[in-house]
Amino acid sequence: MNSDKDFDNLERRCPRLGSKITFRYCLISGEDDNPCWKIFDCWWEQFDVASYLKAHLPAEVFEKLVETAAVQPKNKLTSIVEIAEQAKQQKKK
Amino acid sequence: MELRKYILREDEIPRQWYNILADINMNPPLGPDGNPVSPDQLSPVFPMNLIEQEVSTERWIDIPDEVLNVLNIWRPAPLVRALSLEKALDTPARIYFKNESVSPPGSHKPNTAVPQAYYNKAFGIKRMTTETGAGQWGSALSFACAQYGVECKIYMVRVSFDQKPYRKFMMAAWGGNCIPSPSNETKAGRAALEKDPDTPGSLGMAISEAIEEAVADETGQTRYSLGSVLNHVLLHQSIIGLEAKKQMELAGDYPDVIIGCAGGGSNFAGLAFPFVYDKIHGKDIAIYPVEPAGCPTLTKAPFVYDHGDTARYTPLLAMHSLGHAFVPPAFHSGGLRYHGMAPTVSQLVDEGLLEPKAVKQSQVFEAGILLARTEGIIPAPETTHALATVIDEAKKAKEEGKEKVILFNWSGHGLLDLTAYDSYLSGQIKDIVLSMDEVAECEKIYADFPKPQHLKHK
Repeated sequence: MNSDKDFDNLERRCPRLGSKITFRYCLISGEDDNPCWKIFDCWWEQFDVASYLKAHLPAEVFEKLVETAAVQPKNKLTSIVEIAEQAKQQKKK
Repeated sequence: MELRKYILREDEIPRQWYNILADINMNPPLGPDGNPVSPDQLSPVFPMNLIEQEVSTERWIDIPDEVLNVLNIWRPAPLVRALSLEKALDTPARIYFKNESVSPPGSHKPNTAVPQAYYNKAFGIKRMTTETGAGQWGSALSFACAQYGVECKIYMVRVSFDQKPYRKFMMAAWGGNCIPSPSNETKAGRAALEKDPDTPGSLGMAISEAIEEAVADETGQTRYSLGSVLNHVLLHQSIIGLEAKKQMELAGDYPDVIIGCAGGGSNFAGLAFPFVYDKIHGKDIAIYPVEPAGCPTLTKAPFVYDHGDTARYTPLLAMHSLGHAFVPPAFHSGGLRYHGMAPTVSQLVDEGLLEPKAVKQSQVFEAGILLARTEGIIPAPETTHALATVIDEAKKAKEEGKEKVILFNWSGHGLLDLTAYDSYLSGQIKDIVLSMDEVAECEKIYADFPKPQHLKHK
């Protein structure tokens, strides 16, 4: 996706990492290099991130992002079991 | 001289952890098939002795001597009377805090890292893996593994690895092998690097790598470790509140109000759950988990069964939720910082045993600065949420002319997180509050879902 360079270089403290990151990082740090599910939470104070993403992301990616933003995080135990199952499947291949 | 610290002798350290699952009825996490997640599903990831603790409903669980012999490097942690803060606020309230910043890594995290390393060692595990963001948990686990001669491998998100050298130096000093994620050491990592050799990584990738390494070890001698949320983590943290109860006796006081920040749940639960036990048995005590005003999962959202995803593959979990399909209004999406909370904390809120409070971002850093300038310790950013509520309560006590006793958890110092203070001091932090109208809109989502039982404690 193309993004405005002005927004790319905005910085804030990532509440998940505890480190300073740029908006550009948030655009690619989610699943499958899509935006992080917390991107709305973290940036809405600085600019209209929802409109921005709606304008720049493919419709299906934006829709999935909005859905994911509203449901994360999963129950931790469930997530761990899912990841372990995936790893076991990978190992068999 | 006024007495500031209340210190237990090492041989007065609690010998058992308190397990809140003995005293509350929980709605279990339901799997995709509608059944609870089983211990067998967890056994490739955690050692069975920790899985047994995860599902135990025994009220008191013995702390092994081998664990106490490491915890006593810094425990019992001091209970401190915040005399300077009281004077600054000119309040009749007597304010106490448990100082968890005195541990070697500087936070409450090693309270669970140490027993986790011990139980893994006792189960025959040679190597533990984990992920870390800024490095707080990774350094706690490295410290703990060093005490028991267990190897420790930490996948640190590359962007933090490159940016935050001090935590990885701490891990290395304790013998932890901290590597940037994605790495070449797992299939998941190699696939990510093949796609983009310069990828900055993500927390999701680091977790995947840490779990994959544990599951893929054919010798069965590697397990994964997590530092928050899970029941056994909250169990280990109960030592904070159990010590505090003994120390409050030394001070000749008993708290009217308990306050802790509720982000991941573990430091709040550590202090509060032993006092929840007293409350269940008749003590008149107010217990406040504190969260940012911008993430009102506890303060405003309803207690429901909710899916983890819109496809509804993941379990229906009883939690305070803003709804799986909630679409945030563009300018108020900041209200969705957390979707769910530690299930035990949610349950206790639902029963009315905990009363959540929300504080604004600017308020918390203002409190952090005041505490730094009065009590001297620069608090971790997470700790500042509790501090803001402490100040509110102390001011209220002054208005009401009451000698209220307030106890809170100082969960860690902020010496390796000073950029957060820089953001506040340079005016970059603003306030967010989700309105009740917007939360009411979310509630429509659950109309078709089964309603969890509003269980009461045993």
